[in-house]
Amino acid sequence: MSFLSGLFGGSGSSQPVEKEVSASSELFNSTTFRSNAIPSDPSSSSSSSSSSSALPQPPTSQAPAPVTPAPTALDTFGTAFDPARLHPLAGLGENLDFLALDEDKLNEIEGSASVLPSRGWTDDLCVGTGTTYLSGLVVGGMWGAKEGLSRPLGNNPSMKLRINSILNGCTRRGSFTGNSLGVLAIFYNIANSSLDSIRGRHDTYNVLGAAALSGAIFKSTAGVRPALVGASIMTAAAGAWSAFKNTV
Amino acid sequence: MSHGDHSRDPCPYVILNDFGGAFAMGAIGGGIWHGIKGARNSPRGERFVGSMSAIKARAPVLGGNFGVWGGLFSTYDCAVKGYRQKEDPWNAMIAGFLTGGSLALRAGPRSAFGSAVGCGILLGVFEGVGVLMNRMFAQPIPQMQLPEQAPAAPAVA
Repeated sequence: MSFLSGLFGGSGSSQPVEKEVSASSELFNSTTFRSNAIPSDPSSSSSSSSSSSALPQPPTSQAPAPVTPAPTALDTFGTAFDPARLHPLAGLGENLDFLALDEDKLNEIEGSASVLPSRGWTDDLCVGTGTTYLSGLVVGGMWGAKEGLSRPLGNNPSMKLRINSILNGCTRRGSFTGNSLGVLAIFYNIANSSLDSIRGRHDTYNVLGAAALSGAIFKSTAGVRPALVGASIMTAAAGAWSAFKNTV
Repeated sequence: MSHGDHSRDPCPYVILNDFGGAFAMGAIGGGIWHGIKGARNSPRGERFVGSMSAIKARAPVLGGNFGVWGGLFSTYDCAVKGYRQKEDPWNAMIAGFLTGGSLALRAGPRSAFGSAVGCGILLGVFEGVGVLMNRMFAQPIPQMQLPEQAPAAPAVA
């Protein structure tokens, strides 16, 4: 509403005419064509100097108004937001508020930056599980395709029979590998995010601990010994992956 | 509203997200479902063991079914978006049609077409309900308040 009243000269006529002059001089001072169009009468110059604190200028430089560069989009959005640096005609003060800017905040745990930006543990869970499941599906599908290609089908098998054998192998091995790896990835990502939020940071110890935990849970129904074996295998794999990431 | 939907990744990467989300939903929900079902179907004293074996046998399969459906749907959705260069409810319906058709492809073209039409109609119903809810709960746009009289003087003298 203040923006509208500033634009239309105050239809309620509560605003003095003096405000109009100073606003127009601020307009001239803040835009790029100020060099040949500076209003030169002393009254308006004094009013513009008195109101130069509202002028758009970087917070570090104390230069007078004509030297101040006009704010670019980078100045406005690249630093912390200051409503006083917007256009003076807009009349924006301290009472400017936003609609829920932090609704999709990125993950802020230290050291947890990944390839894709993450918006928290659900994002990690989804992307990690999806990647692992998909790669398991691809690897298992290749395994099944090889199995179907080399399966003996009697002498002189037809093409249709061979394709059927390959598809059967793909759907059998692919879904088995993908499902197992996907469940393992769910365990791993939940453990990893829990450890992250408990310890408040993300490092190699978290990765190793989460890998051991997920391997143990995955093989926990087979007994203590397979659970320990699974935990050590997962820890070794996670350690190798971390070492690979650190060297690259 | 802001420009676009910032709560999801851009298109090729959202496939991974949807794959994993659908798989996790199926696996965790299947774990709960088959855990209860396995416990109910077991004799007394064997309930925990029966529940565990049911979870182990069935939850990953359900997760896999969900994951393949969601991932395929997301892939087709991205492909249709990229081809049409539009975002509207037709994207989801076309993607649902293609997903249902692809998943039933081994049962023959007739069955595949039937499944595709079923999936497309289902997604169309979802999208229609979404549009209706949106229209019902949307804030009415207030009428803009125009000034009573013409501006007194131009802003720049």
